[in-house]
Amino acid sequence: MKQTITNDGVGKWVTRQYDVEKAAGTLQYTDDLRFGPELLHAKAARSTIAHGEIVSIDVSEAMKVPGVVKVILGDQFVHRFGLYLHDRTPLAVGKVRYVGEPIALVVAETEEAAEEGALKVKAKYKELTPIFDPVKEATDNSILVHPELESYEHVPFIVPQPGTNLANWFRIRRGDVEKAFEESEYVVEEAVNCPQIAHGFLEPHCCICKEDPATGYLTIWTAAQSVFATREIIAAGLGYPLNKIRVIAPPIGGGFGGKAGMTIEALCLAGAMDPDVKGRPVKLHISREEVMLTSWVRQGYVARIKMGIDKDGKILGMKNTFYFDTGVSAEYGANPVRSAGYTSTGCYYVPNVWTDSYAVYTNKPFGGAYRGFGLPELMGVMETIIDIAAHKIGMDPVEFRLKNILEPGLKTCTGMPMHNHALPKIIEKVVDKVGIQKKEEPRRPGWKRGKGLALAIKAPAKPADASSSAIVKVLGDGTVEILAATMDMGQGTYTSFAQMASEELGIPVKKIRCIYPDTNSHPYDWQTVASRSCWAMGMAVKRAAADAREQIISLYAQYWQVPPESIVIEHGIVKCRSAGKAEPLDERIQNGFKMPDGYYHGGPIIGTGSFVPPDVIYPDNETGQSPKSVVHFTVGAVGIDVEVDPATGCVEVNRVSSGYDVGKAISPMNVRGQIEGGTVQGISAGLMEGMYYDEKGRLLTPDFTDYKIATIKDIPEEIDSFWEETPEELSPYGNRGVGEHSMISPAPAIGNALFNALGVRIHTYPFSRERVYKAVQMSKTGEEDLWDYPYVQEQNYKKAKKEWF
Amino acid sequence: MPKQPINVVLNGKPVTLEVEPRTTLLRALREFGVTSVKRGCEEGECGTCTVLLDGKLQKSCMVLAVEAEGRKVVTSEGLLGPDGELHPVQKAFVEEGAIQCGFCTPGMVLAAVDLLNRHPDPTDEQIKEGLSGNLCRCTGYVSIIRAVHKAAAMLKERR
Repeated sequence: MKQTITNDGVGKWVTRQYDVEKAAGTLQYTDDLRFGPELLHAKAARSTIAHGEIVSIDVSEAMKVPGVVKVILGDQFVHRFGLYLHDRTPLAVGKVRYVGEPIALVVAETEEAAEEGALKVKAKYKELTPIFDPVKEATDNSILVHPELESYEHVPFIVPQPGTNLANWFRIRRGDVEKAFEESEYVVEEAVNCPQIAHGFLEPHCCICKEDPATGYLTIWTAAQSVFATREIIAAGLGYPLNKIRVIAPPIGGGFGGKAGMTIEALCLAGAMDPDVKGRPVKLHISREEVMLTSWVRQGYVARIKMGIDKDGKILGMKNTFYFDTGVSAEYGANPVRSAGYTSTGCYYVPNVWTDSYAVYTNKPFGGAYRGFGLPELMGVMETIIDIAAHKIGMDPVEFRLKNILEPGLKTCTGMPMHNHALPKIIEKVVDKVGIQKKEEPRRPGWKRGKGLALAIKAPAKPADASSSAIVKVLGDGTVEILAATMDMGQGTYTSFAQMASEELGIPVKKIRCIYPDTNSHPYDWQTVASRSCWAMGMAVKRAAADAREQIISLYAQYWQVPPESIVIEHGIVKCRSAGKAEPLDERIQNGFKMPDGYYHGGPIIGTGSFVPPDVIYPDNETGQSPKSVVHFTVGAVGIDVEVDPATGCVEVNRVSSGYDVGKAISPMNVRGQIEGGTVQGISAGLMEGMYYDEKGRLLTPDFTDYKIATIKDIPEEIDSFWEETPEELSPYGNRGVGEHSMISPAPAIGNALFNALGVRIHTYPFSRERVYKAVQMSKTGEEDLWDYPYVQEQNYKKAKKEWF
Repeated sequence: MPKQPINVVLNGKPVTLEVEPRTTLLRALREFGVTSVKRGCEEGECGTCTVLLDGKLQKSCMVLAVEAEGRKVVTSEGLLGPDGELHPVQKAFVEEGAIQCGFCTPGMVLAAVDLLNRHPDPTDEQIKEGLSGNLCRCTGYVSIIRAVHKAAAMLKERR
């Protein structure tokens, strides 16, 4: 029997943790912490060329700026860092590999002096030919971004190819695709591409590092998603004892994957650990331009899918080739490449599969984690080509999808049986809500209207043994503190954890508080990524809260001399109806109870919980096959109704409907927030976002004027968000992740809607006004396919394309 | 560079800020300890540093601190009631889930206050116009629009 009663447990609409402070403006982010006059400031001088040997760096003028304390160069701090592949140095050593790479770190008494000093660092280079094109550089090994690749450490599930520009190569080999194509009635082969995009979180990266000169203990305050991963990467890179590094993460102003792993911390440590500096805290806050130039981006990609389909519309075989432009580092970006690879047949059952997913080094900023982690990329291609295929075989795209859907029990491309889900029901709802199969007159005179559908799928992408642990403390005033090292960066996880604890403890949510992560106080958690926290950390929080509850009940049972089963915790009051007892949780929970035997029992109540997924097996490096490659998948669908202004190429979204099978909505307010927010972020990416470079690799879009993200004026007139709840078997409350999923499919849904409106297939993201205008013009001449290459360096690509088609 | 004192009325209280001629109002306020004024771009693009300067919406990274001499500055903390209670706009943001990471929120709240001063009963279009200078990457703005409508109703009741 359930022994707790609460009004705001799992599934209830409650307001969010820390929102009062956020609304008031009193919540302190990393940049808001104060360290007094001790604090030094750092600023990086950066490479102005994309590829070259460093001949000399002159810091003499920088050192003359009043207030400058020290200028640190790469050869004074030679350490290689990386989550999955150690290919990144915080400062360039010997060579620069992209425009914006730090070449020197100026440390000064004030931020202004550091900025002034950085401008005065002068470097001379011997220029090398830079490379930018992932397709060409995947096979042309004449210029290597990392000639030293062989010597880099990496985890076993990442497969770099030394002597090439391939940082990772993920493969699936199942059945016989060539035979499947021979037996097919139709064979469709199409390609799609997309430039790098930026996270666009509003809080730039910021960290403060300090080394205790007596003990060598390092303290790092940083805007990071994952304190423990940051600590491990730093410890491994420095060859430093883990226990001597403390990472504290204050609230962060948006992450979207861009603050996962280690970002600028090692660069700041180059200052803080310098012999002339150590002992004083050093702060590194990078400007918006630096964020755009030199922090992680979503990888650009060029992807091709070949599909064999039988006469009834069943897909028999699929051959996928994905080139991810991972930029200068794949230390994190190698894994979205793998994630796209092991989901490379999307939401469909395909018996014969051949997949090559490559991470290709180029001389550009580095690819990393980004909301969706390989799946917006994969589904950006898949859902476009599924739509093309449906039209080519003369079948309704909705029917074609449903015919090939990955029904429960069918095997995914890695051989794992699919679990229960409500995708067909979600598709039906979306199709109905948006009227996908109905042609409607445009609302705006002279415009063209179209509708499109795209499906979404994603599993948490993580090592098999990504574990979590939590501590739930019941305090002497009857309130609860949760120590779970998940970062609530806006997604609302702390509210979900509080609701879980409320459910397990019978204590109202307003008495429960989650504390922001600190490796010194919190128990271990792998990372806040992969839409895993409500699931994996949720398991730990639930266990910890249940542990605390059992301790409370057992103490009261002894105290009242009643059976434990007769006790209920109701809204923070402990009751035993049969004995006529009701007492609030008070200081005895902390100090212990004086029991009928005259002795004190108890003491502070601390519940603990740990979790590791029990049964994930890495896909085989040769075939990609595994009985259980991932923990589960969240599936969903997006339907969109758009209108195009033929005179300008402007696209307006009339309506969008997005639904996901979340298993169980722990915190509905946050589920709705994640779906609405991700849908708009996905539409923004689909219509306007792309990072562009000139022929020398200089970023042309280093700010929000040139890199546009959706403003409030760019949102759809109507956003319908909904969810289904098919429970997950191994899960705290049946829940699955949803944080990233909403970003996966808006962009391909728009592409399909534009085809519906114009009869032209745009193969290149984003669907910018220029590109849509071009498509409008093509529709007049009967041309059907618009293919642009995302880079200015398109000449190379054109050659590569010839070899393809 | 030598610093000079400037006098402003900050959230109703007269204060003196010590600033260099090149210091922006954003950096001066932050150095003074008013950290609700966030620096998201320092280029006038994102709106996280928005303040009310003599009652008008202003991105504080786009004015020099010396330009604020003798003027009134209101930041998000300045909207709180005497006992720390949230302003109706702040309250509506909390209730409608219009906050995620919270980094845009102080600026967004001020933009909403300014909008509601001008349009006590705004249409969706007026809300979009009024908040178009403030970026939010988390919420997709939908809940923010809901919150502004709710705040308008709450303010009307209070009148």
